[in-house]
This record gives sequence, structure tokens and C-alpha cells, in this order.
Amino acid sequence: MREPGAIQKSFGWVAWLTISLCVAAAAAAESPYKDKIVALRVTRQQFNEDRPWAKVNPEVRDGTAVVISKELLLTEASMIQNATFIQVEKNGRANWIPARLVHQDSAINLALLTVDQPGFFDDLTPAEIAKSAAARGVVHSVRWKERQLEVSNSRPGRVEVIESPFGSVHHAILRLSTDFSGGGWAEPVFADDKLIGITVTQDGQTATVIPAEILEAYVERAAGAGGEGGYRGFASIGGLRWQTNTDRALAAYLGLEGEPRGIFIRQVPWGSTGCPSLRPRDILLELDGHELDASGNYNHPLYGQLRFDHIVVEGHVPGDVVPARVFRDGQFIDVEIELRGYPSSARLIPWRRAESAPPYLVAGGLVFRELDGRYLNIWGTDWRNSAPNQLRYFFDLLGNAQSPERRRIIVVSQVLPAAYNIGYHGVANLLVRSINGFEVDSIADVERAFQQPRDALHRVVFYPNMTIREVVLDRATFEDATQAILSAYEIPERLRLPDGELPELGPECPAGTDSLLGIQ
Amino acid sequence: MNRGLRVLLCCAVAAALTACAQSDNAQNPIERSVVRIVNHSQRGDWYSPWISQAPSYSGGSGFVIEGGLVMTNAHVVSDTRMILLHLGDDPTPHEARVKAIGHDCDLALVEPVEPGLLDGFPVMAFGGLPKLGSSVETYGYPVGGQRISSTRGIVSRIEKATYAHSGADSHLTVQTDAAINPGNSGGPVVQDGRVAGVAFQALAEMENVGYFIPSEVIEHFLKDVADGNYDGYPDLGIQVANLENPAARRASEMAPDQSGVRVEFVYPGSSADGYIVQGDVLLAVDGYPIANDGTIALDGLRLSYELLLDRRLAGESVPLEILRDGERRQIDVPMLVYSPFNAYRRLYDQMPRYYVYAGLVFVPLNTEVLVALGENLPEHILYELYFRPIEEPLAVRREPVVLLRRLDHAVNGYMSWYRDLVVDRVNGRTIESLEGLIDAIESNDGSYDVFEFAYYGRLGVLDRRAAESANDEILEIYGIPEDRRL
Repeated sequence: MREPGAIQKSFGWVAWLTISLCVAAAAAAESPYKDKIVALRVTRQQFNEDRPWAKVNPEVRDGTAVVISKELLLTEASMIQNATFIQVEKNGRANWIPARLVHQDSAINLALLTVDQPGFFDDLTPAEIAKSAAARGVVHSVRWKERQLEVSNSRPGRVEVIESPFGSVHHAILRLSTDFSGGGWAEPVFADDKLIGITVTQDGQTATVIPAEILEAYVERAAGAGGEGGYRGFASIGGLRWQTNTDRALAAYLGLEGEPRGIFIRQVPWGSTGCPSLRPRDILLELDGHELDASGNYNHPLYGQLRFDHIVVEGHVPGDVVPARVFRDGQFIDVEIELRGYPSSARLIPWRRAESAPPYLVAGGLVFRELDGRYLNIWGTDWRNSAPNQLRYFFDLLGNAQSPERRRIIVVSQVLPAAYNIGYHGVANLLVRSINGFEVDSIADVERAFQQPRDALHRVVFYPNMTIREVVLDRATFEDATQAILSAYEIPERLRLPDGELPELGPECPAGTDSLLGIQ
Repeated sequence: MNRGLRVLLCCAVAAALTACAQSDNAQNPIERSVVRIVNHSQRGDWYSPWISQAPSYSGGSGFVIEGGLVMTNAHVVSDTRMILLHLGDDPTPHEARVKAIGHDCDLALVEPVEPGLLDGFPVMAFGGLPKLGSSVETYGYPVGGQRISSTRGIVSRIEKATYAHSGADSHLTVQTDAAINPGNSGGPVVQDGRVAGVAFQALAEMENVGYFIPSEVIEHFLKDVADGNYDGYPDLGIQVANLENPAARRASEMAPDQSGVRVEFVYPGSSADGYIVQGDVLLAVDGYPIANDGTIALDGLRLSYELLLDRRLAGESVPLEILRDGERRQIDVPMLVYSPFNAYRRLYDQMPRYYVYAGLVFVPLNTEVLVALGENLPEHILYELYFRPIEEPLAVRREPVVLLRRLDHAVNGYMSWYRDLVVDRVNGRTIESLEGLIDAIESNDGSYDVFEFAYYGRLGVLDRRAAESANDEILEIYGIPEDRRL
């Protein structure tokens, strides 16, 4: 490997640069990877979550995509979200070529691109996706950087189950020790010239890699997206709250004899896998024929002990029904569990919002929007310590407490000061319970409620908080004041409704499976 | 609760004082009255509640008042193990003790152990509220020396502000640009030879901004302790919202010539409970009309109406004028101390209550526990302490109990969840206090102790016999002298 420090000491910067260029060029010429990957450049522009009618400045990010067919490139979805322009460059030649998004799944965090320029794929070779990410010894992480092919000797570490970085599916990932600096931008990983994964994050020298099994499944399902049933995505165990059953006393108390095994189910949110088949205080012993140990692990044929979440990901799609065995009220019971995707949008307070625009409404200068993780992130990565207390505990305690009556939490993020709303200029980050007597759980509800005042006033009632519980506005001057405020603050649109419908969440769960918080 | 600016209490760590012996010149009566106080203190440890923190000592100021007493700040003499008074040029320190202390108003009275020690010292009398822009002088023993120091400044602001010592109480406060530094705490702020207030805190982020406690608050404290007990400030127990918006006033059925604030919430069991309901408009207190921004005209200033409530002692009534459903009403509300608010205050002069069972450490939830847990406080703890009382006022636990941590042992080592958890039920009984938890455990004759934790449905179980038999061993291993302090 290069040792820039040592070389620099001997020859100085110029010498080192020259040598490293030579090394890179030589490596590219010989590399089996140079025609299997392309450099990816994405111009993207996110919404301004604080002023949801606006967008922030565009930014450019560079990463990698891997060629998987004579017309498709595979990369991670978070690379291309909110993209305004996508370009690719191949073979280290200075020639950025426009690319186009073909398909993306933000839940599993993968996307397919193509390039419309005729002949683009002619001198590229599709990478073969390995059967699995199980690999020993040295593997290669690869990327184009400043038109040089960089190949890192990487070492596979543990395989574990986590919630997909930038996604929402809980699945197995591969930890990799890599020599790359600043990696984590969709660098493909090869073993024996086969693609074993795509890097999604890198912390220090440890990379997190989506394994080949998931890449293969995604590509296959995306290819079938145009067929009957469309794209089916990935099932996830997300939302289910459980605890280990390692405690003999707990197992014995519940009546489960013998060695502790299985996991103790605590909460089953509406719309999650397990709803309505699993119940709080069940011990889930088997899922899809796999026995669960007391830590929630099962024996994966390739990866050994793996958390059970991965069972529903590998070889299954949402809608599949799998058998399960639970210990409930002192009896062993066989149940069937319908697998679900449980995307972030299923949650009462979504954590991610992929690339959809934030719905909002400006009414009388009050800015209404949905409470979600994107909004909390305006307080920075440390938002769990710095965001307003009430937003934090709502997110933590009620994040999965969706019900047919309540699918979203609406927040008044700020008040745009005007004479009309005097007295409320300090109102910010208060959670809305009702408007004009109507409970609201969507921006559409907010809009409808303002259209149905009960008298000469508009009344916005908040969840209990430490400041103000009701904002009252004059009805007669409401429309004019709103227009004047929109004009004064140069807001192009008063209202933005959600891009699509909320996901169907299926049958309701038994009562009491939501958060037990008493907020009504 | 957070003022945004860091408030420094102005007692000094005595170690910073440099010893220097100088002869004292003839002092004026005020200087002779001002004493230096050294407090050797020791606090409990709210994370390991069976042990005490290392003793420390700090320095502050005080001044002689009638009755052979020294007035100072509560934070100067809190958590005391020993108080020493340094009187003028007397090289001998004199032991003293706390006679009365009010942590919510940061005032204390100290008396020398030796009777008559302060006989012959000039006694300082109290004056009124100084005018804005008038001059005041501070006296005390700030860091940097052992001789008395005085500085002159201007009264720059008079308003209700948070008292940092408790962190949860707000009273009338006077701001001055007279230097108030660590060590000045408890010293008199003087105008025309009379005490206008007691120096007590400063803003860390601003230069030359110090605060003193005005005589109004001091008088309240002295009246309160006249019977030998300090009851503390009563509280009306309501949340209000300003009514500056005309539509809001119409909604509250107010006439054009009426002004006031809207009652947003009435804490159950508080002074206002039974007298005031949510939606009432508070029009006047004690005959003073309340403006739509919540202020009253008082002594030529516009101040929070709550300062009029502050003038009441526990047990006294306050006349209020309210508007309910468009109708004016005159009511007299007996003012009570609302004990649930104690959970929001920093705690002093008391050791933490706790109970250790089978290595599980249970404590009542209060601000000290939050401080002990530090950053990354679990959101449900935050909710339980601050928001549940307003979200679910009728379901609020009298004294929430927290499983703070676990002392590892074979009997508890497999518990999945064992820290920072609010206890909901133990052995089927809802937990409303630490004593209730102990009783639920000790009266259990079943095979298991079952702990159900609030939020998220977490469950913990112990084999009761194994737990009981392991108790003494765990206490011995971890050096815990007693399994409880109640």
C-alpha cells in the first residue's frame, strides 16, 4: 500500500504525486474492475425543512456506481435522492455523461441508473453479483477518484443486523476494514472478481456494506417492477419492540420451562410485521422455521448467529405469510405472520422522508407542517439533546404510535410575524391537536379545518405544553392576512400537500400494542 | 427553565483565596457589619446515593442584622458541615450554624454558636426598592483577597428572573453593573446607608452584569421564618397565556376595556384548583389590573403580575378578579405551597433517598437524578418529570420512582433492562412513591418479584427467594452500609 508519509519524506510532494499517479495508472490498466464501475456525480438539492416552501443551495456529491448489466448501474439510493442532475464518468476519462434514475428503493437504500447515450455500455463489463457476501481473506473495495482507479485491500469483519443506514429495513450488513479514506459513497466491494456488496457508510476505517444477497434480490425485484404486482420491495421487522429473554427468572415467571429461549415481545405497532399475529408478552420462539435463541439470534447457514430480523428479509417479500411459534399465556401456539415493509412513512412520526417534499400550510402566518425526522434534523446531528423537549419525547415515545385515527403529528414550526398574528410571534414548535374543533393529523386536515370555522374565530389548540395552548385568529381577515404574509415573506405557495397516499397498514393490532403513553 | 445565559452563583471556592495578613484601618459601620463566611459542605451523590461526595469548602459574604444574626445567600451555606464566620480584622474564625434557610429565594440566616458574639456590631437595616438608574454599592469578600471590597454601580434593570440556586424559582431581581463576583454572594447591596438587597448571582456571558435580591424578597423571607419554620413561596399553580391578540380577547369574551391573561392550565391540588378553571381570564391581582402581556404597573415599573402573588405567605389569601364566560368575578384564593414543584428544584441540605434491592438501585425522580444522569437523558424520564403532570394531570404519580442502575450480581445479571427506567408497577401494585415500592417488594410472598416499567412495556423479573438471600451479600460487596435511606 502507499505510504505517502514515508515517500514524502524521501522525495517531497512533487515526487510523491508523480509516483502515485503512475501507480494508479498502472493499477487501472491491469485492474479487472476498471470497466465494471463508473464514477458517479450527483447534483442534488434538498428542501429547506425550516422554510418548507424553499430549497437549500444545491450541492454536489461524488460516489460510485457498479455496472450490473449492459444497461443498468447499481448504487445506493441515498446517493441520488433529491438529485437535480446525475452524471457518470468511465474509464478515468474526463467526460461526464448524463445518467438517469430507473428505479430506487429508499427503504433498502439501493437504486438503479441508466445512461441513454448510445454505446455508453459498449466498453463496460457487467459485474457478476456473488451468491453471498461470505468471503475470507482480502477483498477489494473499488472507486474512481479524480480519474484514478483506487483499489483498497479490505478485510471482511463481522456480519450483523442493523437498520439499513439511510433506509428502514433491518437486514444483515457486512463490516469491512478498509484502507480508503473518506469512503462510504457506494464503493463496490469485490471478492474473486464478483460483487459481494456496496459500501453505504464508513466510520474511520470501518465500512458498512450491503451484502450481495440483498443486491441480487433488489436487482431481481426491480427488474420485475413493471410486471404484475409491481415492485414488492423488502419486508422488515422494523417497529417491533422486544427484549431478550436471557433472564431465567423472566422466562420462568412467564411459565416457559427449560433453557430461556425466544424473545419477549413488548409492542407491536400497527402496520409492522407481526401485527396482528403477535401480542405484547408473547415469547416468539420460532419464525419461518428458524429457532430464536434468548438473544433473538438464529443460526444463518452462512453467517452463523444472526439477529432474527434478517429472516424476513432474505428470500421473502412483503405479503408473504410465514409460520411462527409463540409461547402465550402458558401455551405454545402456532401463528402465521404476514410480512410487511414498515417503511418510515408508516410511522406516526416518520424518521426519513426519502425525497418527497415536506407538506406544509401557511395560515394566518402560522406555518404548519408534519413532524418528522427531517424536521428534527434542523437542530443538527445532536438534535436529541438540542431539539425542543416536546418534539423529542413525542418522537421517542409516540414515533410508532400510529392508529387509524392518527397517522401524523402536525407542528406549528413558527409564526411569520405580522400585525394580524400579534401576540403569537413567539409561538414555535408546538404540536397541534385540533383546529376549529376538528382533530388534525395531516396538512389536508389542517386545510379543511380552516375552511370550517365554527364562529367568527379560528382556534388552533395545541397539545399541552409549557407556553400556550390555544391560538385564536380572526376569521374575517384571515384570508387577506394570509395573502399579505405570503407576499411579505415571498412565499410562492400557501399549501403543499403530500406527494402520495399514506401506506396501507392492514388490520389493526390488539388494543394496547401502541406506545402506552397516555396522550390522547 | 433555561434562561439561555449561564448564571453564576457568586460564592467563591475558598481555596482560591490567598492568605495575606494586613492591618485593618478603621472601618465604616457598613464594612464592620459585613462578614466573610466559609462553608465546609458535603453533598450527597445522586448516582450512588449511599455515599457522600468529597467535602468541599467555599467562601461568601454576609451582614449582621437584628437579633444577632447574619444574613447571607442560601447557596453560601447550603449542605453545610461547618460554617465559620470571619469578623473584620478578628483573626479567629467563629463557628456558626444555619438558623433558617430558603432555597427557593436563595436567602439564609446564620447565627454564631457563641451567644452574643455579634453584640456591638453595627446592625444593618433594610431600605426599599432602588430606582432605576440610581447608584448602589456592593460590599463583600470577592475572590482575590481576604479584605472587604466595595464597588459602586447603577441599577440597570428590575424584573422577575430565575434564581439559579434552585433553578426553578423566579422572583423579583435587580440588575446592576456594580461588580458582583464569586465571594460577593450574600453581601449587602447598599443605598443611602440601608440594605437595598443581597448580592447573589451574575451572568457568565456578560461583563459587569450582577444581580441582587431586593428587600421585598428579603422581607418575605424574614416574615416566613418568623415562626421558626420556612414554608417557602406559595404558588397559584396555573399556566397562563398572554392575550395581546384581539381575536384571542374576543374568544375570551372580554370587553374592549378589559385586559388580562388567559388561564391555560390549573395544576390539580394547587392553590387555584377549585377557584380557577382553564379558560378563565385573570383580570387583576390585589387590585392591580393585569395588562394583556401579563404585566402590572407597580412602583413606576411594568412587572410580571406574578410578583404580586410573591408577596403572599403560605396560608394568606390573594384577591383576584377573573372573567369567566364573560362575567366578572371576585375571588379570594388561599395561597398554598405546591409540593410537586419541588421535583423541579435542585435539592440541598438533604441526602438522596434510595432503596437497593437485589442490586437494583431505586430512587425518586427529581432534578438531581436528571443531573446525575447527565447528557443523553432518556426521553421518557424527561416526559415523566416535566410533561406528564400537564399531559396527564390526573394520572400523575405522586413521586415517580426510577430504577437508576444495577449493581451486577448473579441474581440480577440477566435482566435485559436495568437502568434509567420509570417504575410503573411492582408485583402488581402501582408505584406512587419510594415507600410504596419498598412495601410492594417486602410484602410480596410470591415466587417472583415482577417489575413493570412505564413506557415501552419493559418487564423485569427476579426470583424472590434468590433476590432476598442475595441482598446482604450485594450490599457488602458494593460497600453499601444501608439498603435504604427514606
